[in-house]
Amino acid sequence: MTMNRHESFEELISASLTEELTETERQRLDAHLATCAQCTSTLAAFSDQRRIMAGVRHVGPPRDLGARVRTGIERGRFATLPWWRQPATIFAGVGGSLAAVAGALLAVVLLNGSPDEPQLGDASPTPTASITQEPSDGVTTLPPVQSSAPSAEPASAAPASAAPASAAPASAAPSPSIAPSPSVGPSASAAPAPTASPAEASPEPDVYLALTGPFDNLALTVRHGPTGETIAELDTPSGPPIAAELSPDGQWLAYITQLGQSGMNEIRVSRIATAPGDDSTIGVGDTVVLGESLAGSPFLEQMSWSSEGRYLAFTLADPDGGETDVWVFDTVNGEPRQLSDVGNAYAGDWIPGGDGVTSRLWVSLAQETPISYVLALRDDAPLGPAEPAEIGTNRADGVFQPLLSSDGGLAIFWQGRMARVGEEWLFSEDGAPYLAEHDITGATFAFSNERPLFSDLSPDGDAFASAAISWGTDGDAYAVWGTQWTGDSPDGETPYPDGGRVYFGHATDPRGLTQTHAIDASDLPDDARVVDLKVSPTGRHLVITALRPIGGAQEAPRADLLFIERNTGGVSDEVFTLGSADDGWFGPAAFDEAP
Amino acid sequence: MEDEVHSMAVPGQIPWDIPTMTRRATDAREAEFAQLFDEFSAPIHNYVLRMVGDPDRAADITQDTFIKAYRKLDTVTEASSTRSWLYRIATNTAIDDMRRRRMVTPMGDDAPAFANRPDPRPGPEAQVMAATLDERVQRALMKLRPNHRQCLLLSDLDDMGAQQIGDVMGLSYAAVRTLLCRARGEMRRALSAEGFAR
Repeated sequence: MTMNRHESFEELISASLTEELTETERQRLDAHLATCAQCTSTLAAFSDQRRIMAGVRHVGPPRDLGARVRTGIERGRFATLPWWRQPATIFAGVGGSLAAVAGALLAVVLLNGSPDEPQLGDASPTPTASITQEPSDGVTTLPPVQSSAPSAEPASAAPASAAPASAAPASAAPSPSIAPSPSVGPSASAAPAPTASPAEASPEPDVYLALTGPFDNLALTVRHGPTGETIAELDTPSGPPIAAELSPDGQWLAYITQLGQSGMNEIRVSRIATAPGDDSTIGVGDTVVLGESLAGSPFLEQMSWSSEGRYLAFTLADPDGGETDVWVFDTVNGEPRQLSDVGNAYAGDWIPGGDGVTSRLWVSLAQETPISYVLALRDDAPLGPAEPAEIGTNRADGVFQPLLSSDGGLAIFWQGRMARVGEEWLFSEDGAPYLAEHDITGATFAFSNERPLFSDLSPDGDAFASAAISWGTDGDAYAVWGTQWTGDSPDGETPYPDGGRVYFGHATDPRGLTQTHAIDASDLPDDARVVDLKVSPTGRHLVITALRPIGGAQEAPRADLLFIERNTGGVSDEVFTLGSADDGWFGPAAFDEAP
Repeated sequence: MEDEVHSMAVPGQIPWDIPTMTRRATDAREAEFAQLFDEFSAPIHNYVLRMVGDPDRAADITQDTFIKAYRKLDTVTEASSTRSWLYRIATNTAIDDMRRRRMVTPMGDDAPAFANRPDPRPGPEAQVMAATLDERVQRALMKLRPNHRQCLLLSDLDDMGAQQIGDVMGLSYAAVRTLLCRARGEMRRALSAEGFAR
């Protein structure tokens, strides 16, 4: 389309109304207006228009706007929440003992958010509060690296009994979560920990999926963690759900289900709550199938909600050739759209933003030396499908699939050489996850001060082919499981890293992850395999979906949903069963962010 | 089990008076928000009203805008960007509202509710004569594409420069100048249809 000569001057005329012409433009326009009646007329019309616009009535807001806003701030956020997200109902209708536990845990949350609260690794000479507090300059930093040798002297000698007086009222209630940790004691606990009712086991707000019923008539429901009550009934999939992510506003649950024995997964998103007045065509219980994808490594099964809850990013791998591309589901129009078109792209994590901030997503390209790009999504300029290298606003060489802490200040990403294995990309040489700082305050989105997540391992040509990683919303706790380590165990005896174990660490721990960071082996049933894991908002609990061995092709898959309270200082972890595999498939769970 | 302590139960001494700190932080936040509301509630409401053309919806959108602003107050890092940030929240909230009501299509005109109401008046001339200037301008505005309307309102109603409009709309300076020119052309035709000369 070509612009006629008048149109080119119309833009100058328009800009002249707000006195935004350069001197050169002004002279050019004046010279043209002197000889062009049409543009002179346009100038007059535009000037009139601006006068008309300036003359329209300014309509003031309703008198009660301030009160309405105040009410919305004070109560609205709870009033618009579904029952299962409202704090009052989380603990309503349950016994006094649960209320006591809940109260204690809430106290823990408050203490956890205090600026000077010593986090784990109290023995560290470096203050460890930098992750959880809000520093004045907004910069998140990592503590100095401690020796990577496994710590023979536990750092735990930390003040295990110096509960502050201010915490006493809340902590007076009997609660295993806040009991002072004995400093000595054998760690082995051969028998699984005793179980408790789901309500007692899950005082932190969470939801979980449950696939129950006879084999030929399974029903998929979303359950409320603390009470076990059903929130929504969903379309029954062809296989069990193996991953789930709840949107920050609690309205959408994204999950991956296996498509029988086909080696394929299906990615779905279901509406499980609506805000009052929302007349979206997608109602509670409705499900949108986002696509089918090859089943594979955790790299493929990464789903991420943007911080304002509008977008879900996910990866689809084509069964014909395994080409992978990144897709985004937009909750506003209820439709998925393809973001990348390169065949080796994987979804990373969203960079935290908010209303009025452009949504930015890390997208990684799997190749011999991986690379990651930041893609910006704008309403007025929908992206994709496109090549990330052409539309990316920032890039990080050698970085693969960065997963960000809740405030975006830290990242766990992969580095190393990648290779095509079968129909997907895995790490081959020196591949390992790293913990790093991530610059969001300067918007460079640069990674710095990276350190190996597993501090007591040196790849030296070996690699973690892959592993699953999950951050807690406290921005400090994280867990790694399903490690696929190509090398030998460092001591040649104890399997380490063990693909069957869960490694639970904290970014503020200068030691990183070591062999000692594995949760108790007895936390999981014999021969069970971890399918999914979530770290609780307090950074203290884990909810694990554990697949029970299947007896035969005719047996329905079964999984336990376990709530694990991590204990330290010689006390065994406590394990509660939220849903028993004896009754079907329970999990994955998703923690509800504090409304 | 792990040979370390990270139990939240053993936080040691807390050197700061947390309740007092929390209160101070809350007080500062409240004061900042009160100032924001005093300064911007009227212009934001007026802008939203012109965007959606419906007083009830405008009030709801303005209300939601300030509730969101309160919750995200700590994301504003520079005072100079507060206005753009707030207008952007208002704009996005209004666009979401219009989408829900299926009033926005990517390229075409939206369909304002009141513009589509059956008009019992006899003919265009009488209609023009009877309507107030304000109603006619609003009707013309509602004929514009949403991004044209938004751009024109920010420029001529809220007196923003191209740079600031770009901040609100997520566009470059050059893109805003082009968009604004097109919006003026479209508005010229819409006003003409409403009986304004030229």
